[in-house]
Amino acid sequence: MRFDLDLPAWKWPFYVMRHPFEGYDDLRWKKGYNMKVAWVIVAAFFIVSVASAQLTGFLFNNTYVKVFNIIPYFSSSVLLFLTWVVGNWSLCTLFDGEGTMKNIFCVSAYALLPYLFSEVIVIIASNFLLRTEGGFITFFRYLGIVWSVVLMISAMKTVHQYSIPKTLAAMFFTVVAMAIILFLAVLLLTLFQQVFVFVYSIYTELMYRFSI
Amino acid sequence: MPFMKKLAAAFLTAAIAASALVVTASADEPYTGYNYDWWGDPIPSQNGFVVDKVIDGSDLGLDKLDYSSYSSTLQAQMQSLAEPSDIFVYQKTGEFYIVDSKNNRLIVTDSTFSPEKTRVITELHYGSEFPESQSVVKNVNFKTPRGVYVRANNDGIKFIFVADYDNNRVVMFNEDDEILMEYTRPSGDVYDANVTYNPNKVIVDSAFNVYVIVPSITQGAVQFSADGTFNGYYGANRVEATAEVIAQQFWKLIYTREQIIAMRRSVAIEISNIDIDNDGFIYTVTENKSANTDVLKKLNPAGTNIFVNLGYDEVTFGDFASRYYKGKNYASAITDVDIDEQGNIYLLDFATGRVFQYTDECDLLFIFGTKGPQQTQGTQKGTFMSVSALETYKGKVYVVDSRKNSITVFKQTEFGGIVQNAISLFNEGLYDEAKGPWEEVLRRDANYWLAYIGLGNAYLNQNDYSTAMNYFYRTSRAGYNRAFKSYRIEFIRANFNWILIVILVIVALLIAWSIVKKKVLNKGGNK
Repeated sequence: MRFDLDLPAWKWPFYVMRHPFEGYDDLRWKKGYNMKVAWVIVAAFFIVSVASAQLTGFLFNNTYVKVFNIIPYFSSSVLLFLTWVVGNWSLCTLFDGEGTMKNIFCVSAYALLPYLFSEVIVIIASNFLLRTEGGFITFFRYLGIVWSVVLMISAMKTVHQYSIPKTLAAMFFTVVAMAIILFLAVLLLTLFQQVFVFVYSIYTELMYRFSI
Repeated sequence: MPFMKKLAAAFLTAAIAASALVVTASADEPYTGYNYDWWGDPIPSQNGFVVDKVIDGSDLGLDKLDYSSYSSTLQAQMQSLAEPSDIFVYQKTGEFYIVDSKNNRLIVTDSTFSPEKTRVITELHYGSEFPESQSVVKNVNFKTPRGVYVRANNDGIKFIFVADYDNNRVVMFNEDDEILMEYTRPSGDVYDANVTYNPNKVIVDSAFNVYVIVPSITQGAVQFSADGTFNGYYGANRVEATAEVIAQQFWKLIYTREQIIAMRRSVAIEISNIDIDNDGFIYTVTENKSANTDVLKKLNPAGTNIFVNLGYDEVTFGDFASRYYKGKNYASAITDVDIDEQGNIYLLDFATGRVFQYTDECDLLFIFGTKGPQQTQGTQKGTFMSVSALETYKGKVYVVDSRKNSITVFKQTEFGGIVQNAISLFNEGLYDEAKGPWEEVLRRDANYWLAYIGLGNAYLNQNDYSTAMNYFYRTSRAGYNRAFKSYRIEFIRANFNWILIVILVIVALLIAWSIVKKKVLNKGGNK
């Protein structure tokens, strides 16, 4: 651990990316959590996921771009990330995790950085490469994902002060918790929709009675 | 009241719109041509084929014949076709052979379908070469014939082969109705004793090997050599890797021998129809609503599907997705295949009554024909009830309907002719000459994706890579890849100096930056 580190807030994500194993310890020690930086990364996550669908070269693009709808991209990036944070927090507070919601949010966002970089490289390269050279694209895509996953494990381990097996178990059950949260959210949404339709029909009924 | 005014206006607009719809719709075919775009969505297209005429029994003069020897119920039935199940055209002379299954007869006519040209074959006779004593079946009449094929030998003598379903034979006879050979149930161990032998379709290759489609055989077509000996099976379908099949493979690892024998065996789906092209390649189709493997196969003489190497076995033949409409699920069930002179492939879909025309490279050209609504019983021209066979002759497509008891003749439209002309030029390698027809196609139907590929190839041939890329964009990945490869090389060659300069400047800047940074840091350290 390096105690002499004195980095500005925006440099921390890059530092942990380059130091996957000790970076988060330093971050924790120096309290490098910064919500603004984390939100910028989450926003970049959203932008990159849209760009990946829209700007990837024709030879490597399998998106159905006939109809463009921003909602699926938003929910598969930002909402998914927020669900991860909430799911992880609600699980790990019960199991002696030391991380607060803010800490989890920051370290998880910082862990996304390699994935974002690899996606940007893929998007640019896909416009210059032929189909036979697609191996590079697959390589960068998997490199980014693996790197991000390693960072995420390291982040979870440090922020909650868990052992490695406990970290992995916690991450697995976080995914389960996310599934439960999404299920409840969809349930709630449909119920509220029905309530809304009911209220709206009463409103229209009343409006007809009074207007004519 | 403003509300009532609005309502009246809305009704009026709707009425005008509806009347406009009726006026345009009445002049059209009962079907709208469509094609599939890059994403596999159906998009409207112009019709490539329209109905020319519909032929029934009275056109052939069947109602004028003498049926006094038959019972009264049969007499009425024999006035027209009854469940015709196959049609064959002998391309050299233009003779049409129609199998009239329920009436147990074969009708020979020509493309005019006039009564004078029509000859009805109901009774054969055993000749001296193949006396009745040698026959197993010993029947001079047909019993529910289902398929017909005609091939001439080198001397030009024609032999007619009929798949005689309920007589359990394929019968070969000459134009004097003299039976020369019967291909009956193979004896021996290879042919399963528990399986029936009801020939449904038959084709003959140039060496006079006979291929018989038997519905109960899943190992492929039953193949006989010219002298009637059983050669084995030909062109079996693959077993589709469904979840059930994979699970069975897993259990086979664990089970004992007895348990494996008792297991439900997963077998391939039987071939439903067969055709042979001018080059001797055999095409088979499989009629199954759930399976997508081996719907259409092109087999070489060894029985190997050559579409696999070309990647065409990945093509979805027929409609892309099954559609749920008015309580019924429609998925393509390809029941017949035909290859025309140009090598185009025609598939007949039993489920929807549609004909799908493909090029020899399995690119979808046109879709035509439709299943009629239940109320009209397919009486409208171009609609069907239960299609059974199709055949092509001189650019026209003949579709047999076994419940309408008629033959519908489709002729090519002007648009279809332009497309066909462009493809012919394209296949001969005359890309530049094909440009004009393809541009004409796009003027008439801007959604016709094959035209974009054709024009892309034309521009690629002229080394105009960026234009070619524009045409290939979202129509052909392979074409785009080829054009882009050349474009990229050309781009780098043309701009090599600039690219080098930019790279050098970036490297120089990076070096300069690192030097400056070091100096600044050193100064900071000195403090």
